[in-house]
Amino acid sequence: MATTITATHKNQLSRFQSLIALFVLCIALAIMTDKFFTAENGLNVLRQTAVNICIATGMTLVVLTAGIDLSVGSVLALCGAITAGLLKNGIAIQSMDLFIGFTILGAVLAGILVGALLGWFNGFTVTKFKVPPFVATLAMLTIARGFTMLYTKGQPVSNLSTDFAVIGTGWWLGIPVPVWIAALVVLLAVFITQKTKLGRYIYAIGGNETAAKFSGINITRVKITVYALAGALAAIGGIIVTSRLDSAQPNAGMGYELDAIAAVVIGGTSLSGGKGSVWGTVMGAIIIGVLNNGLVLLNVSPFWQQVVKGTVILLAVIIDKAGDKKE
Amino acid sequence: MKRYLKYLLLIVTVGLVAYKSVYIKKLSTMVKATGDNFDAIAFSKKLWEEKLPAKLDSAIELTEFIRAVQTNAADAFSKHSNALGIGNYRYALIKTDAVVTELSDDDNTLQINSGDSLMIVKLATEFIYGNAIRDASALVDVKDFPNTMDLNNISEELNRTVRKTVLPPFKEKVKKGDRINVTGAIEINKEHLRWTGLEIIPIRLQIVQ
Repeated sequence: MATTITATHKNQLSRFQSLIALFVLCIALAIMTDKFFTAENGLNVLRQTAVNICIATGMTLVVLTAGIDLSVGSVLALCGAITAGLLKNGIAIQSMDLFIGFTILGAVLAGILVGALLGWFNGFTVTKFKVPPFVATLAMLTIARGFTMLYTKGQPVSNLSTDFAVIGTGWWLGIPVPVWIAALVVLLAVFITQKTKLGRYIYAIGGNETAAKFSGINITRVKITVYALAGALAAIGGIIVTSRLDSAQPNAGMGYELDAIAAVVIGGTSLSGGKGSVWGTVMGAIIIGVLNNGLVLLNVSPFWQQVVKGTVILLAVIIDKAGDKKE
Repeated sequence: MKRYLKYLLLIVTVGLVAYKSVYIKKLSTMVKATGDNFDAIAFSKKLWEEKLPAKLDSAIELTEFIRAVQTNAADAFSKHSNALGIGNYRYALIKTDAVVTELSDDDNTLQINSGDSLMIVKLATEFIYGNAIRDASALVDVKDFPNTMDLNNISEELNRTVRKTVLPPFKEKVKKGDRINVTGAIEINKEHLRWTGLEIIPIRLQIVQ
């Protein structure tokens, strides 16, 4: 009986380890600086974290299938640039004397569609040509960045519109709009992973791909869908960033893939797939956001901030691996 | 039957989204201020000589603007100021009578009689930069400029015109104690209003005595 209780407690403790880590971090920062524990700063952290939550949610789905997507930062930049470009310049077809203008809805949908297509291409190369996800998405990282530079000619696309700016800078019911968007993305991803067949297939493929294949799951279709979703979510992140800056920067999103992977890992999702949750990733993203915010409030040098962040990620993986061994 | 209904619903939804997403125009009917060979100098010269004078004539008195902001900031900013980008900064064209109380290398200090009190502002006389004139004039529509560099070049040209044509004759004659008429552009942070140290970028300067 005692053994059962202890095992249950340990299991629950490991389930909530991200939440406990976040709680401890918040308490420590609240003690160290009086600027941390304010409603304004809390909302600020959530707003800054919203983009990473969107990207990391897509990354979670990919990692759950035992894959990885290194292209999200570049996809974010390209989709942000395309959204901004279409909104500002539309498409002019000289030979037909035609101008196709885009409303905010049109530009946003086009951006998301491009993200999904790039993700689809990642999934296609991974499944059809058996290219390792690391290599396939690394190639896409370069390709998408190159296309961003070509599309923007290396210049920012600025001064979009005040209505478009609402996506990144607006408030609704006292909460920043990006936080609402991130919340919607998370709820959708939780629904997919917990309540749909696709969700069960994702876990099954990550847990044991061969077994999943023999049980009749269409691995190719599931993986392509997952990569397409990751691309679309990176695009949403790109649209938020572009709107917030009122400008699409050709070098936007550099290194964002690392923050997303860090959020996934800190949130307890296993890099070998099949284990983890979207909620965990949200916690991971918030931990990174709080850590960034706290280090800035404590006037820690940006160079040390990178060292601390890297150490936290390493510790999270070591703890995760230690937990796996015990199981 | 159910399947056909599903497809019909899908087509209607896609059609509706597409209708709300794009609009089509004839390219030849669209007037564009810019192109590959946009001439910022010619554009700014035309703006300065043909369109700006009328705007300067109708600029609001500085003290009146301040009163309007203090009474109803949102209304005052919407009526009397402009901004091309997002953010808290607004730009307004203002005019005022003032007395020069101090001359320095970078600016002149002006004293303005604002009715019940005296107000001190700065008149920029050396470093004329930023987008205050372009944005305050409300004569440039951001949608006409796909290239941000073109927009920046307009500001640069307007600022250069002030440096070359407005300031030299003024700086040559102005003395401490002179009464002057100023029309210019100001930049105000609408979330953090601060009238002390307000800087006017001059566009039209006249020494009265």
